[in-house]
Amino acid sequence: MIRQLLNTTVFRLSLVYALLFSLVAAIAMLSVYWVVERHITHQTDAQLQLQADVLLNRYGFSDSSSLFRDILRRNQRMENTTDKRFYYYELFNRRNTDISKNFQAEYSTNDPRIGQQLFATQPLNETINFSLLKDQNQPARILIRQLPNNYQLLVATDLTEQQSLLDDVSGSMWLAITVIVLLSLLGGGLIGYGVLRRIDSVQRTAGEIINGDLSQRMSVKGRNDEFDRLSIVLNSMLQRIEQLMQAMREVTDNLAHDLRNPLNRLRNRLEANQFRDPASTDFQQLNQDAMQDVDDLIKTFNALLGIAQVESGVQRDDWVDVDITQLINDLAELYDVVAEEKSITFEHQCDPGLVLHGNRQLLAQALTNLLDNAVKYTPEKGRIKLEAKQSAAGLTIIVTDTGIGIPADKREQVFERFVRLDEARSSPGNGLGLSLVKAVTELHGATISLEDNQQGLKVLIYFKLPLVRKNKPLKLA
Amino acid sequence: MNILLVEDDTTTASFIQKGLNEQGYIVDHVANGEDGLHLGLNNPYDAMIIDRMLPEMDGLSIIRMLRKQNITTPVLILSALGEVDNRVEGLKAGGDDYLVKPYAFSELHARLQALLRRVQPAQEQTVLKLADLEMDLMKRQVKRAGTLINLQPREFTLLEYLLRNTGQVVTRTMLLEKVWDYHFDPQTNVIDVHISRLRGKVDRDFDPPLLHTIRGAGYILHDPTAT
Repeated sequence: MIRQLLNTTVFRLSLVYALLFSLVAAIAMLSVYWVVERHITHQTDAQLQLQADVLLNRYGFSDSSSLFRDILRRNQRMENTTDKRFYYYELFNRRNTDISKNFQAEYSTNDPRIGQQLFATQPLNETINFSLLKDQNQPARILIRQLPNNYQLLVATDLTEQQSLLDDVSGSMWLAITVIVLLSLLGGGLIGYGVLRRIDSVQRTAGEIINGDLSQRMSVKGRNDEFDRLSIVLNSMLQRIEQLMQAMREVTDNLAHDLRNPLNRLRNRLEANQFRDPASTDFQQLNQDAMQDVDDLIKTFNALLGIAQVESGVQRDDWVDVDITQLINDLAELYDVVAEEKSITFEHQCDPGLVLHGNRQLLAQALTNLLDNAVKYTPEKGRIKLEAKQSAAGLTIIVTDTGIGIPADKREQVFERFVRLDEARSSPGNGLGLSLVKAVTELHGATISLEDNQQGLKVLIYFKLPLVRKNKPLKLA
Repeated sequence: MNILLVEDDTTTASFIQKGLNEQGYIVDHVANGEDGLHLGLNNPYDAMIIDRMLPEMDGLSIIRMLRKQNITTPVLILSALGEVDNRVEGLKAGGDDYLVKPYAFSELHARLQALLRRVQPAQEQTVLKLADLEMDLMKRQVKRAGTLINLQPREFTLLEYLLRNTGQVVTRTMLLEKVWDYHFDPQTNVIDVHISRLRGKVDRDFDPPLLHTIRGAGYILHDPTAT
């Protein structure tokens, strides 16, 4: 789990983010520290200058003995107080080595500059870590002013307070950085863990589906986040797959039923013929019937394959702009005589110059299936009409008849494979005609609807605009 | 008539071979593509029947090679792939006709005959004749025993196709393909209705009948008194 967590993109991203954030925070804090330190040094130096100026203004350069006394008094007062912010003064002649020895005896410092520069003529304006011998590591800052007659005035001040302020600043700074780093690591870990849990759940569900339980669905938390959206898409995909599987199962069941009967019949016929005299008329008749059975089986088989091929939508390479007007006229001519045989009035009406991008063979086959049905289910003296017209919205092909029609509640069902409303299956046909029509219309991005024709059936196939366009996106309904 | 049959399924092949032998053809059968190409290149056949899917070399490649060598022998392609674009592909490769499995032997025979007829000297006939039936392709007129018969344009095309294949069985599928250009099996009796209508015009008032139905196969136009 930990390993997986460390491998998640989210965790890695939040780790990088945490490091970057910590770096920025550290830079900000360091600059604050730097500003504060500079400010403190500046103020300390100003104070030291002020102290030196006050002393020199009061006594001038000449009256060194008064100055010396004042300094002693001040230093004594300072020693008796517990106030930490003290000032320490020293006046000494450059030649007076006693004073410098005295200074060195009382104070200690590791800084080599104190030896060279304390007695040099340059003023020293740096913090030097020096301290009273009795009180180690007391940071202080000193100012040395050059006086005439080789005298030098030294003013020192204690920096303990300033140092502790700076220590506080840097302490809280490090604390803040540590907290930021820890919090972002924790945050990254939590986010990574959350993502990992959602993905684990998807993975688990997918595993169950792979193992055959197609009813499983990805969990949707209802937060409408990206995982929910992904799950919803996956779920609708699974829904579609399950439907297809269901449809396939039904087709297989129907197929078994519809092929088993004629196969059985065929077997019975051949069996019965086994011991007949080949010259007898019975034998001949049975032989004819058996051949008819096989032909019917082949037709059913071909029709099924055809529908499957159309549904797979691969036949788009050979699409052309089909002259629909020509097609309608050809089909009318083909079916006019068929209808006439049955004393059915056949009419057709077609706007001139209708063109549709599609597969001519499939469109023709779909329309002949509809016309076959119309002729088959329309009684004598009935009427069949084939129309094609273009409107602003698209092209509509309509087949109407005055036949037995289809009850409203069965109009969806009839498109399924092997569905025949004629329960007794007495009329010829295999229940695949309308399935092919549906598949062909969907391949062409068209919609088909069955309506009541007062008496009979009205089939409308509606092709949306644009009618002539290449490389239509494949639309699976 | 010498026929080359390239078919890898031995049962189908022996069935076709036997059937064609009975009809008086001499059939050479090979079971793979390379042998088929070899025979096709080196022997003058009257027609070839080539399966699409073959071991060694597929049927369409054989046809392309043959056509490249200017061998124009008519080829009938047999295939289990029956869809429209497969058919177009087969014809584009140089095949002359395309028959989808499963098929009836009568269908195969009828189509083979139509192919063989096509190679006969193709002088531009302007008048097609059978007994006292006469079709003038220039004037687009049909006469029987001197009487003018009024035909619809499609009936004219139908009769023309039958006349061009006089004495040979043509199947319903062939008629739907050649006359109407629809490449699918008719589910109902549309072709029968058109034939019977044509028969009404051409045969009803005349003797002898020329247009005959062959049960389980199709139709044939021939003069029964001629032989």
